Amino acid sequence: MKDHFTKLTTSREKRRRAAALQNAGAFVIAPALREASWTAPALWRFGIVFLALFFAGNLFAADVTADFSAANKLYAQGKFADAAAAYEKILQTGAQSPSLLFNDANAEFKSGHPGKAIAAYRQAAQLSPRDAELRANLAFVRNQVQGATVRESRWQNWFGTLTLNEGALLTAVFLWAMFALLIARQIRPALVPKLKTATWIFAALTICSASVLALQATNHFYSAVAVVTSAETTARSGPFDEAQSAFTARDGAELSVLDRHGDWVQVAGGAGKTGWLNKNQVEILPGA
Amino acid sequence: MGWNAGAVRAWIETGVRMAMADNLLEKILHLRLPKLRAGLAALFACLAVLVSGTVPAGAASFTASLDRDTMTLGENATLSLTFEGGQSKNVPTPSVPGLQITQAGTSQNVSWINGAMSSTVTVAFSVAARQAGEFTIPALTADVNGQPLSTKPLKLTVTTASAPSAAAVNSGNEVAFLKLAFPKPKIYVGESAVARLELYLRDDVQNFGNFQLTSTPTDGFSPGKITDLQNQRRRVQVGNRVYTVIPYAVPLTAVKTGPLVLGAFTGNVVVVLPSQNEGGDPFIRQFFNQGDQKQIPLATDPVGVESLPLPEQNKPANFTGAIGDFKMTATAGPTNVTVGDPITVRVQISGSGSLDTLTLPPQDAWRDFKTYPLTSKLDTSDQFGFQGAKTFEQIISPQNSDVHELPPLAFSFFNPNDGQYHTLTEPAAPLVVKAAGATPMPTIAAGKNSTPENQAPQDILPIKENPGALAQIPVGQDSVEPLIAKPIFLITQSVPVLAFLAAFVWRKRADNLANNPRLRRQRAVAQLVRDGLNDLKKFAAANQPDEFFALLFRLLQEQLGERLDCPASAITENVIDEHSVLRSAPKMTLDALRELFQLCNQARYAPVRGASELNSVAMKLEQTLGELQEVKA
Repeated sequence: MKDHFTKLTTSREKRRRAAALQNAGAFVIAPALREASWTAPALWRFGIVFLALFFAGNLFAADVTADFSAANKLYAQGKFADAAAAYEKILQTGAQSPSLLFNDANAEFKSGHPGKAIAAYRQAAQLSPRDAELRANLAFVRNQVQGATVRESRWQNWFGTLTLNEGALLTAVFLWAMFALLIARQIRPALVPKLKTATWIFAALTICSASVLALQATNHFYSAVAVVTSAETTARSGPFDEAQSAFTARDGAELSVLDRHGDWVQVAGGAGKTGWLNKNQVEILPGA
Repeated sequence: MGWNAGAVRAWIETGVRMAMADNLLEKILHLRLPKLRAGLAALFACLAVLVSGTVPAGAASFTASLDRDTMTLGENATLSLTFEGGQSKNVPTPSVPGLQITQAGTSQNVSWINGAMSSTVTVAFSVAARQAGEFTIPALTADVNGQPLSTKPLKLTVTTASAPSAAAVNSGNEVAFLKLAFPKPKIYVGESAVARLELYLRDDVQNFGNFQLTSTPTDGFSPGKITDLQNQRRRVQVGNRVYTVIPYAVPLTAVKTGPLVLGAFTGNVVVVLPSQNEGGDPFIRQFFNQGDQKQIPLATDPVGVESLPLPEQNKPANFTGAIGDFKMTATAGPTNVTVGDPITVRVQISGSGSLDTLTLPPQDAWRDFKTYPLTSKLDTSDQFGFQGAKTFEQIISPQNSDVHELPPLAFSFFNPNDGQYHTLTEPAAPLVVKAAGATPMPTIAAGKNSTPENQAPQDILPIKENPGALAQIPVGQDSVEPLIAKPIFLITQSVPVLAFLAAFVWRKRADNLANNPRLRRQRAVAQLVRDGLNDLKKFAAANQPDEFFALLFRLLQEQLGERLDCPASAITENVIDEHSVLRSAPKMTLDALRELFQLCNQARYAPVRGASELNSVAMKLEQTLGELQEVKA
């Protein structure tokens, strides 16, 4: 165990160095790009920094892969709490991937923390919403959760099959295609009859995808979900410890965030119940 | 706005008089339209407000008024600050200790009487009291049209709503009153019960609405949602009057021990009573009487309840706080398994009590089994969630082949009806557990949708071996910023829009040129002249007078033809004197044109000229054509 953490610490040092190299590279590249004349020394400097950045990125990925494998080994040995801690440490370095979050969620669930597991699965689902294994595990863990909880609507599930970035790119593609057709119609008026149907189709697709994107963005930026990560949490009628009990939420309950006040969040627990929970009892995630 | 108020008023008055002149309307429309006339007058009045802001008709005033001088705690009064003949930029907000005063809205009223306009602005405030007592809203001062004006102080009495006495209720004088009842005088902590809140409405109440509870103190209880029991409405005789009873259920769970007080609940309701002002035939009145609305303050008496602690005597070790009256059934299957195989144990606890908080106690006897997280499903048969069944599902797997039975299950609860603890048990179930390797391990955890109900996934799917595509979250951020939040992405999306606008403008210009032959010719001639002047300089340098003068003559023809809108071949020196367009040209330009034409004619007969002379002719032509282009075609 000690060896594992020593290795992790060493890896973090390497990654810190790699990140520092990348940051330093950014500071050198920017002035090089700004230089009016591409002199030979400037080109050399640019080439060296580019190569350094390339290798730093590879170093970072290699370190994460090694730590990831070590954490997987802990999981396979049944040391779920240690595995969860190992995955968490990788995530703290800034690395993120659906598989990393998925494994972290699995380890948290096996360690008896369904709330943390659901939070990690939800984060993974935002990156990879069509991952069948992820959806199956999230559904399985949700089934274990008792008490007040809210679920996404059918529309939210439908919108959630695309990530926000996929939605943005799809909308951009339709938008560019529509305007390309409109430009072609201006340049070659003879093509107008031929391009008419295609223009309307892309215009409709642009409007539809932009509407979906707007809903996704609204959900992502303006709504939030609080996942309870404590064993049993009492929601209070006000944002202070002495306030009356409103309802009880169990570990893993997913509650809509209605308001925030200092260290407290107001949540809706379904069936019209609302209450305030301390932020250290929940993990707050974007709504989408 | 910077408008002259007198001029604006004169203009508006003229407009209104014009609009209101019947003979003018008759002449124009051949109709008498009083609605149109009134509409035009209103339109001009609105226009007056919009354009001039305020056109004072007299001295400004500032007054304050309350819609009532007495209210019950929990009700709201309305304070109106009225500015007449002017408006203050800073409306004062009164501050009175014990009152919560918040601005509710602003309204403006403009009237036009005998050519003089008056404007009234009313700022409304909602006044709520935090406690009963006598309050004084102090004099308020506002700067109206540069003049400081003050209101008079206002008094507001706030009384506490109290339940009507039994004598008042029996006398039939109470239009509406509220009653609160708790089903039992004593309750155990953790026990749930449904209190009953009843709204009594006298038989002459035609309608009611906006029933609001302003205070529902339930200290020591955890309240549920107050529910309207619509199917339990009834009519009862109270004293000498008949009342309609509207019952509401208030589910409560005691969370503290000791003497608890429920209420007093306060609220108000708006009722419609028969109007007292309409005379005539009572038979007709019953069909057309719209009634008078009246807001009635309501209050209940407080209800005392003794909350008892659970007895420590005979408390079972596995008691987890279940309070109520329950029954238990349990099933387990399959019972013929291999070591490590999952066995599903289903325990159903049914009855009445706090089912939501019911938990299955840890089963210490399952030490030879690996247990998975417990799941539960609640099915309630009443609207408060106090009756029904909770089904627990526990996956366990035997760890060795020495296990021969599923240990007995035990569940304890406290029954508040008899004040005793009870323990329900299910006997041990025989199991056949074979050693591992005898049969293949069962496949676990497939996708939920792909498995039938009886083969639900038993565990989560395993971890992934590779980290996949890694992203690095920038320092100081919680997650990678989405594309839609990046300015560069958003700016990029404007590129096709700008490209389209450029193409659109280009197309419009091309179409415009195609549809305007004069413009097209003008541009073609301008290009021809530019190229021709260059060629002239080359001919001059090469000392080629024949080509030089031939080109010069052609350029003169093209430029004059374009200006005069006639074919270039028809242009001769004579057009300078004949064409009317050239009469507006300066005399020097016309003289220069004549000279150039004559030079062209002489070139046919004159001897060869030198390069410098040709250059000076070319410069003269360039100047003359430039002046000619200034002549309006």
